Amino acid sequence: MKEISKKVKEIASRLLSEGQVDVFLAWEKGNQDYLTRPLVVRSAEEAERIVFDEYSIHNLSNYLLKFRDGNEKVGLVVKGCDSRGVIRLLEDNQFSRDRLYIVGVCCPGMKDPLKAIKRNSGLLQNIPDDDKADKCSNCAYPNPLIYDELLGSEQEPNVKGERQAKIQEIENMSPDERYEFFRENFERCIRCYACRQACVACNCRVCIFDEMRPQWVGRENNETDNMMYHLVRAYHMAGRCVECGECERVCPVDIPLMLINSKLAKDANEFFGPYEAGIKYEEGSKPALSVYRLDDPDEGFM
Amino acid sequence: MKILSKDKVERVLDKLAESAEVFVPLSRANSSGFYSWKTRNPEKEQLMLETLNVYLSPKNVGFPQTEKMYSIIQSGTEAQIKETFEDSSPRIIFGLRACDARAIRCLDDVFLTRGYEDSFYKARRDNMVLIGQACYEPGPNCFCQAMGVDPLEPEVDIVIRDCGDKGYIWETKTPKGEELTTSISNLLEEKELKAPEAKAFQTQVDYEGVAEKLKGMFEHPIWEDLSSNCQNCGICTYVCPSCHCFDIQVKSWGEEGYRFRCWDSCMYGEYTAEAGGGNPRPTTKERFRNRFLHKLEFFSERYGYPLCTGCGRCIVACPTGINIVNIINEVKEASVDV
Amino acid sequence: MSDKCSCEQPLVPTVVEVVDIQDETPDVKSFYCRLSEGGVPFNVAPGQCAMVSYLPVGEGMFSCTWQEGQEYLQFAIKKVGLLTDELHAIEVGQKLGVRGPYGNGFPVEECKGKDMLFIAGGIGLAPLRSFIKYCFKHREDYGKITIVYGSRSYADLCFKEELFNEWPAIKDTEVYVTIDNPEEGWDGHVGFVPAYVEEINPNPQGVIAVTCGPPIMIKFVLQSLEKMGYSDDQVITTLEMRMKCGIGKCGRCNIGSEYICLDGPVFTLTQLKQLPQEW
Ligand code: SF4
Ligand code: SF4
Ligand code: SF4
Ligand code: SF4
Ligand code: SF4
Repeated sequence: MKEISKKVKEIASRLLSEGQVDVFLAWEKGNQDYLTRPLVVRSAEEAERIVFDEYSIHNLSNYLLKFRDGNEKVGLVVKGCDSRGVIRLLEDNQFSRDRLYIVGVCCPGMKDPLKAIKRNSGLLQNIPDDDKADKCSNCAYPNPLIYDELLGSEQEPNVKGERQAKIQEIENMSPDERYEFFRENFERCIRCYACRQACVACNCRVCIFDEMRPQWVGRENNETDNMMYHLVRAYHMAGRCVECGECERVCPVDIPLMLINSKLAKDANEFFGPYEAGIKYEEGSKPALSVYRLDDPDEGFM
Repeated sequence: MKILSKDKVERVLDKLAESAEVFVPLSRANSSGFYSWKTRNPEKEQLMLETLNVYLSPKNVGFPQTEKMYSIIQSGTEAQIKETFEDSSPRIIFGLRACDARAIRCLDDVFLTRGYEDSFYKARRDNMVLIGQACYEPGPNCFCQAMGVDPLEPEVDIVIRDCGDKGYIWETKTPKGEELTTSISNLLEEKELKAPEAKAFQTQVDYEGVAEKLKGMFEHPIWEDLSSNCQNCGICTYVCPSCHCFDIQVKSWGEEGYRFRCWDSCMYGEYTAEAGGGNPRPTTKERFRNRFLHKLEFFSERYGYPLCTGCGRCIVACPTGINIVNIINEVKEASVDV
Repeated sequence: MSDKCSCEQPLVPTVVEVVDIQDETPDVKSFYCRLSEGGVPFNVAPGQCAMVSYLPVGEGMFSCTWQEGQEYLQFAIKKVGLLTDELHAIEVGQKLGVRGPYGNGFPVEECKGKDMLFIAGGIGLAPLRSFIKYCFKHREDYGKITIVYGSRSYADLCFKEELFNEWPAIKDTEVYVTIDNPEEGWDGHVGFVPAYVEEINPNPQGVIAVTCGPPIMIKFVLQSLEKMGYSDDQVITTLEMRMKCGIGKCGRCNIGSEYICLDGPVFTLTQLKQLPQEW
């Protein structure tokens, strides 16, 4: 990891000083060992701050949205999950490939700085000390799927299957049990929309939840509006979610959003597949469920 | 002095819950917050009086995340306000820490002073009793003292002091507290206990002069840098005990409807978006700057003390590692003539 | 400064009836509202605002005109979004909610004995108009009154009757009107407001200038006034921000530590220059 960190620093500083990129997205160290955090670098000197370590978990592809309207060339580091996020943005025409310089890192799995700080905060109980973050224990693509330069040695997928088992368990519930399961979870939601903000697939310029004419989803924090929020979010993720796990990771009240996302991914694959979101970028390729054809065999809701 | 022995805590809470809704620090799933004692699920939720504090602040007790204000009827050109919903049912917050008690004082100043009393907040607040807990062992992200809060003396009606196995010292501070103490006096004992030694703070920060210095730093390049990894997710404002921004919205169907208010966040783009399409805070930088200036400068200018109480929650919650203590430090170090 | 709202529930509106609606321009209408039993729910000082709510849709803050003895509140409202679209569709007789009055209003007392220069653009004439009307009502208290007003086109000029007939006829009053682009049938001045003000070049001696309009116009007018020798204390303007509560609680209309709804919307340029430049 040290080696990779050093290389990333070198690459960033090279790209910035040669003017190949204007901005480079990576990580830096915060106050604690476990507090690695995203960093936006604009000069070779600043690149000295860069680190890549076992807490570099954040999906930096999301930060590309901050730059989508400019002309700046952006370099960034991607792990497997992040690279799928980049593909998501390319397929959604939110970024052009030639403005990107992608440094891929084969990812051995990360730890979650949020879990670590929470565990030590005195504010929460029972936060497990896993050696791998949840999202990394369910990762089918640890190796970058799009890159200009690749670091590290290829890693094996790491899918413990716990999530799929849980999904199966929910599929087997009666409708009432299932409703109760989700009601109980969504009841906790504080509607902060952090899951949306952290999500690379949530890249609409005006999000439906901010749309006021008409206002599709109410802003109240109650069963109806919370349920509505999660239903709409789920529908918008079908076939688009790249399973990077950021939404669930950032959720302040631990709502198991990945159960929903992975179920949707599974269904998208079964019904419209074989299909997995953001695993291969070809010029002009489109995610499933985002193509409209007049001769569509289903009526849909047009 | 009055002592509450630890094995009587639940009985006291039960007793209090007979005549008021009692909010206590509880764990809930992998989160925690102040929830109703009566409706807790004892199998899944534990009382958290002995850890430091809880993740979600008690702000919602006096200022719920969603609060119905009044109902309306409109039929053709006729319209009327049907009913208003000020809720003055009694509430008790049990075990809140000095930082959160200070945050309630901030909310009091916002909602009850400067020309207008917010009747919805007032109804709740007037019927609320605060039972605070002194902190002898600040956590890794606590910095209340630096923000002018004394962790040993929460600004509340009754203070409890944890003396380990021997129980809590029960100190009544106000007439409101007196009344409550009387109602449970048979559950308290008369005994002498010595409060523990207070431990040192792990996080040191010097807020002295920061509000004044920030006055000249609105256009400082520091904001671009500090905000560059913020995702505008708003978590920091939702977990913060003193962030008080709200939105007023309406829900209507057929001829009926109601107006409610709900928490809002200055971190959101929609917050200041104007009907005509403009937005005075178009990007992350302006929103981020507003939040931290409100906490550290604007509120002080208006009310004489900062809106950050040093509880450290936003530090724990921020998914991108933004830390208000670092921000204070960077402001202190920044050169202002750039 | 006028009374603060004395009501017990400052966030709950009072129901009023719309008794008249006038088209001012293609996208501005004036609404006249009063209590069903007659009279107004509260008094409003020049420059103050009130929250108007179309109950099932939403609330919005608008400048409100009222004068002592007047039986209704008047709002001139421009169509810009959800709420105002709905308001433009209502008919006479509609019941609306109003709450207020909000804000500090114009310093009408402090301006007594001065010459007044009013500079407005578009719908910005609405708040100034309440001050202008106040001056005319207390004509002896004020010196010379100069009004400079402009809009995109002739059709977009608000309050035409007062502008072209009533006000110019009042003694010691000058009214200058301009439109942005030449137009058939218009033989008045053509050009932007700030430039027109410089052309008229009113002497700053003993004058208070009050300006309101689109933010970009205000910025240029402030520059023009400075160029013509007006000191910051002689210049007054009003600011706009999105508002929800109107009573300094909900947080969103702050500029620095000032809340526009409570401490504004009226500021002297001196005060404005002490605030962060976020307007
Ligand atoms: S929905 Fe969650 S897992 Fe899917 S792309 Fe968005 S943040 Fe990643
Ligand atoms: S991050 Fe969690 S609490 Fe926030 S809106 Fe999403 S699901 Fe709800
Ligand atoms: S910030 Fe202070 S009062 Fe709050 S929990 Fe920490 S030590 Fe206690
Ligand atoms: S929690 Fe962190 S990332 Fe989210 S809005 Fe606050 S400072 Fe920004
Ligand atoms: S700003 Fe952060 S540390 Fe300060 S009171 Fe709010 S949550 Fe606590």
